[in-house]
Amino acid sequence: MKFNGLMGVALAALLAGVGSGAAADVVKVGVVASFSGPFAMYGKQFKDAIDAYVAEHGTKAGDHEVQFIFKDDGGPNPDQAKALTQELLVKDKVNYLAGYVFTPNALAVAPLIDQAQVPTVIFNAATSIITTKSPYFIRTSFTTPQVAAPLADWAIAQGIKTVVTSVTDYGPGIDAEKGFTKEFEAKGGKVLDAIRMPIQTTDFGPFMQRIKAAAPNALFTFIPAGPPAFAFVKSYADNGMAAAGIKFLGTGDLDDETTLQTLGDAALGIHTSFPYSAAHDSALNAKFQADLAKVDPGAVANFASVGAYDGTEALYRMIAAGGTDPDKAMKAVLGASWESPRGPITIDPKTRHVTQNIYIRVVERDASGKLINKEIETIPNVPDLGLAK
Amino acid sequence: MRQILPFAVLAAVAVAAFYIFPYNLAFLTRVTIMMIFVLSLDLVQGVAGIATLGHAAMYGTGAYAAGLFAIHVWHDPLAGLAVGAVAGAVIAFVSGLFLMRAHGLTLLMLTIAVAEVLQEVANKFSDITGGTDGLGGIRMGRLLGVWKFDFVGQTGYVYAVCVLFLVMVLLKVVIGSPFGLALRGIQDSQARMRAIGTPVARRLLASYVLGGAGGGVGGALAAQSTQLVSLGVYSFQLSAEAVIMLILGGTGRLWGALIGTAVFMTVHEVAASVDPFNWLFVIGALVLAVVYAVPQGLMGLPAEVKRWIGRLA
Repeated sequence: MKFNGLMGVALAALLAGVGSGAAADVVKVGVVASFSGPFAMYGKQFKDAIDAYVAEHGTKAGDHEVQFIFKDDGGPNPDQAKALTQELLVKDKVNYLAGYVFTPNALAVAPLIDQAQVPTVIFNAATSIITTKSPYFIRTSFTTPQVAAPLADWAIAQGIKTVVTSVTDYGPGIDAEKGFTKEFEAKGGKVLDAIRMPIQTTDFGPFMQRIKAAAPNALFTFIPAGPPAFAFVKSYADNGMAAAGIKFLGTGDLDDETTLQTLGDAALGIHTSFPYSAAHDSALNAKFQADLAKVDPGAVANFASVGAYDGTEALYRMIAAGGTDPDKAMKAVLGASWESPRGPITIDPKTRHVTQNIYIRVVERDASGKLINKEIETIPNVPDLGLAK
Repeated sequence: MRQILPFAVLAAVAVAAFYIFPYNLAFLTRVTIMMIFVLSLDLVQGVAGIATLGHAAMYGTGAYAAGLFAIHVWHDPLAGLAVGAVAGAVIAFVSGLFLMRAHGLTLLMLTIAVAEVLQEVANKFSDITGGTDGLGGIRMGRLLGVWKFDFVGQTGYVYAVCVLFLVMVLLKVVIGSPFGLALRGIQDSQARMRAIGTPVARRLLASYVLGGAGGGVGGALAAQSTQLVSLGVYSFQLSAEAVIMLILGGTGRLWGALIGTAVFMTVHEVAASVDPFNWLFVIGALVLAVVYAVPQGLMGLPAEVKRWIGRLA
């Protein structure tokens, strides 16, 4: 069992009690995420990234001591997320909130943070509308349309004229389908067929046959990482789709770094678009991964960890400039730009969502034989396209 | 007197909790709501003996009904509660018509299936339900036109506790009635009850509908206090956890449902706040220990302790 976090909190509480006479003020940040259950991966990625950031920058932001309090919402569970957030606000009196893996959880706390005026940095939840629900929301992850539309542009530029879309039949999948289709058709492409696949499907043979019969230049897919993504990629290879001249295009959700190795040879040559690849070639990214490995030797950098890392940067900027004043804090971060492990990013002052480069990547083996998402093209400074409807 | 004393204790505990934990009202409200849900499950499973792992079907339907009612029709909380109860009862009636023909494992599987089907329906009609994003934008009016739902959650807590009392009293009355006795008889031996002329299928359906209404009330309260309904209201996990809480406290006795829920959720909350990363171990150990040492559930603890002492003496 890990008691380090607990000891840290206890120690900080003790210090705060002892040193309350001294000037060192503590600014508290509540982190609500999934640390248990099937989505515990997200919580772990968040915590590792926060720990790495704190290891690099220290526990002080400006003149303020920063203290993180972690709470487990156990998955897409808005009741729990809201109750925990309420507790953080009224009992622990946190000045900032962060985390939130799932859209319903983030939406459930919107009225709270609005009323309490607490700046909240969303590390993951990827539906466009969230940031419109409160002026105190900032998001450092990405939205599905932000990733899908640039891929459509790139496909057109590659001479791809027809596609079949096949997405998982739930909110994010449908967002991806809409985002891709709108852009692709606007640029003169043609969608021959739009397939929505049930969430639990792992047998994609019939869908592949249907796609093959339609004979498009490419297929576009959105599938969340996990067993279905693995089965889909394998099915694409087994059915000889590449040989039939049908290219594989998808959002990077399906081959994020934590699951990439399990996809195996079947994944070689598929194209995905995403804001972050662990193979992004920059000194900062290399340092980020080295520091991650220091706090947790088994850590793998992926979109969730970089979302949390940049989110922590946003928190530190806000705390340094605003302390416990929410409006000063928001002002400090809106419009701010900095270099992130994923590349240059800006917090859009209007949408409060991150404007960033979207990369088209191809799956390859690197020199050591590991699968990597190699960035082959950069679409610079893409804003959240989901709201600009 | 014996009937009233436990209620007095419950009232005292509820009031004491309000003053001792003024900063944990959101959590206490969740416990109270869960108690109502587990109580309704106790009627179905503990009293009538209907094995179910899909009680979330009624909870979820009540939640969506109350949420949609608040958004599109009227934001009055009590009206929403009634709508949730009716919705839960209706879905229990419709599904009960074919569920009550099955027994044992088949019944268990079918109850799971009903909840899963409803979840998929809610996912498909995302224009109405919000799908995976959840049904947001629920605004609650003042309770009885007087009390506003406040930030700290005082109104919400008092409201939920009052509803819990109402449900508890109603269930006590139901269980003590000839109808309740018939249900117990059915649990012991369906064949014998049929032989003495009890319409078994109809009694079971009636209990399922009543339990459904209770589940719907729980869901409606959850929708009103969270002001958002997600697909999770239909989740298997919710059904399963409710069964665990019931077994933990002891089935068929109503008070066991309350104790089991309180213990399970408190241990969960405390363990998860002490160590948000490994708390599941604690919950697992607790359930194992209780099921192993006190098969009757925590309600059976006094009798079990007496037995141990007797053995020592």
